[in-house]
Amino acid sequence: MTFRSRSLACTAAAALALLLSAGPGSATDFAIGSQIAMSGALARVGMATNEGVTVAVEMFNRAHQGRHSVKLTSIDDESNPAKAVSAIERMAPDVQAFSGGYGSNIIGPASETAERAGKVYMTSGGVASELVKRGLTNFFRINNGEGYSRALVGLFGDLDIKSVAILHSTKDATQEVAHQVEDGLVGRGVKVSTHAFDPAISDFKPVLHKVKVLDEPDAIVMIGYENDYVGILRAARVMQPKVKLISGVWSLATGKMANDFPELMQNVVGTSTLPYPVAFTDPEAQEFAKVYKELYKKAPDYLGVFGYVQTKLLLDAMLRADEAGTLKQPGGIAAELRRTATETLIGPVRFDERGDNPEFTHRMGQHQGKQVVLVWPEKAATGPVKFPATPW
Amino acid sequence: MSELVLQSLYAGLLAGGYYALIALGLTLIFGTMKVINLAHGEMVLLAAYIAYTAESVYGINPVLAIPLAVAAVVLTSVMVYGLVSRIRQDRELNSLILTFGIGIVLTNFVLMVWSADIRSTNVPWFNEPVVIGEAFYSTSAQVLFFLAGLGLTAALWWWLGRSWYGRALRAVASNRNAAMLMGVNPRTTEVISFVIAGLLAGIAGVALYTVAVIHPDLGHNLTIKAFVITVLAGLGSIPGVLVGAMLIGVAEYMTITLASSALQELTGMVMFLLVLFIRPSGLFGSRGRVG
Repeated sequence: MTFRSRSLACTAAAALALLLSAGPGSATDFAIGSQIAMSGALARVGMATNEGVTVAVEMFNRAHQGRHSVKLTSIDDESNPAKAVSAIERMAPDVQAFSGGYGSNIIGPASETAERAGKVYMTSGGVASELVKRGLTNFFRINNGEGYSRALVGLFGDLDIKSVAILHSTKDATQEVAHQVEDGLVGRGVKVSTHAFDPAISDFKPVLHKVKVLDEPDAIVMIGYENDYVGILRAARVMQPKVKLISGVWSLATGKMANDFPELMQNVVGTSTLPYPVAFTDPEAQEFAKVYKELYKKAPDYLGVFGYVQTKLLLDAMLRADEAGTLKQPGGIAAELRRTATETLIGPVRFDERGDNPEFTHRMGQHQGKQVVLVWPEKAATGPVKFPATPW
Repeated sequence: MSELVLQSLYAGLLAGGYYALIALGLTLIFGTMKVINLAHGEMVLLAAYIAYTAESVYGINPVLAIPLAVAAVVLTSVMVYGLVSRIRQDRELNSLILTFGIGIVLTNFVLMVWSADIRSTNVPWFNEPVVIGEAFYSTSAQVLFFLAGLGLTAALWWWLGRSWYGRALRAVASNRNAAMLMGVNPRTTEVISFVIAGLLAGIAGVALYTVAVIHPDLGHNLTIKAFVITVLAGLGSIPGVLVGAMLIGVAEYMTITLASSALQELTGMVMFLLVLFIRPSGLFGSRGRVG
């Protein structure tokens, strides 16, 4: 073979390789954006969720090493809706989809901006029902307020609780979940009283005093955030209302609360995806926990799990869209997400036409000693519920 | 119902003493230099986080960590003064922007060093119930720092009215040039006011850590609360701070009891606007008054 013919052959081979690499199923560099609170009022929850997002990307890159890769761009929205919109606008030209966001009031405008840019917005940080009533075709979430209220109402039904006082923050998501819990309990014939509180309140004794003197409920439900829970439980220890159980929703039955406020949390019940200490049994979950520990030197918490699951589902859909040749087509990733029907670390996930996950039902965990024991539903329980039982 | 009202009055007064503790430092600087230190809440928060570190890392009781917290906050306060004193034009307005910026820097410093997790003391004594006659409920920390608020207000009032430096401070606030002619060094007195404000913020921070839950975003709310009390009291009126803080405390707690806890913060703001409308110089204020 002459030099000229060898050159021709090499050129042809290179051209063929280029053509093949451009086709479906070849190596693809994916890019996703994460707009999330890393400072401001939602910094703690935002950072914890972002850790899960990062772990999902890391695990994807390890699993597809040499074939596919994902580049994650994260921008701090400073817990501010306007900054979140700006972050989405900045990232949109360079990414194929978004995974992130915390707080319904922030996710709302951010996901609308993503919709205008024709990009999928996947989240676990906004439970307000309004988010899935806007007719967006690119909005998806793996959890919702109904899943939290179903779990609380389910547990209370099993415990035959007759009267409940609901203490809830006036923020959008907490208010909505409080109404859902109230509706669910009233529907079962439970007597319910509600007390809304300003997010800035730190001394809950006057509220607990009203609960003790006027309401006299069987159980107290707290729907707020970590600082609210600590304030309410401290006030409850001082006022000692005659209740049989104190419970709540997110950020309550966690390892962090068990470690940071062990005395205060005893016997308190809250929604929980994981027991504490975390015990994973299936291989994917064990791998997740291993990578999480490698990156952050700690065990994953529930926010990390949610961040991981939402991002993994998004990346799986992007991979399928890439293999089908629809990754860069409008609606390609969204169509693949709508075909999702899978078991995940938070339970089954599928998306309805609004992008919501109708399968989502939380589990309930109870602080027992230095552990969080899953107590509801029965099939997920890792131990029996202590009832009646209060923190004092 | 009377049981609830009595408890609200009691809790409101206790909260007032603690609010006064938070507001005193801001009032002092506002009264002496006409500077609204918008980083005041963040300095209180800094002290709270130092108390947290002392407890969680070294096992030191937060009250014993007061000297450490005070030292750090005084140093920060003097640095803030160093920056404020460089403003040559429109100090009242430009210092607002400067201290607001310092507040943001401090918030992010706290976030980077201590993370966004919530913190509060785990020393049981601070949250032990103090129940008087089965009618009045509080915690040990609330009673302790209510008394501290009363004591420090009285001490600051006495210092401003009776000590040489206190009088010098009032003289500089009243007429800087005349004070200089009388041999008072305005810079020294201003530094002293920032040092005292830092000291008060340091103690308030430790109180905050033991009474409530802290997180990096809290500083802004503390500044607003302190500012509302300062304006309610009247320019630089130290007894006015205590009375204003107690009025706000009682109004907030009565609102929770008689209406809704969702309206608690709104009550303080409504009082603030009413006082501004009816008595623009505050409840105890007169033009140029200090102490």
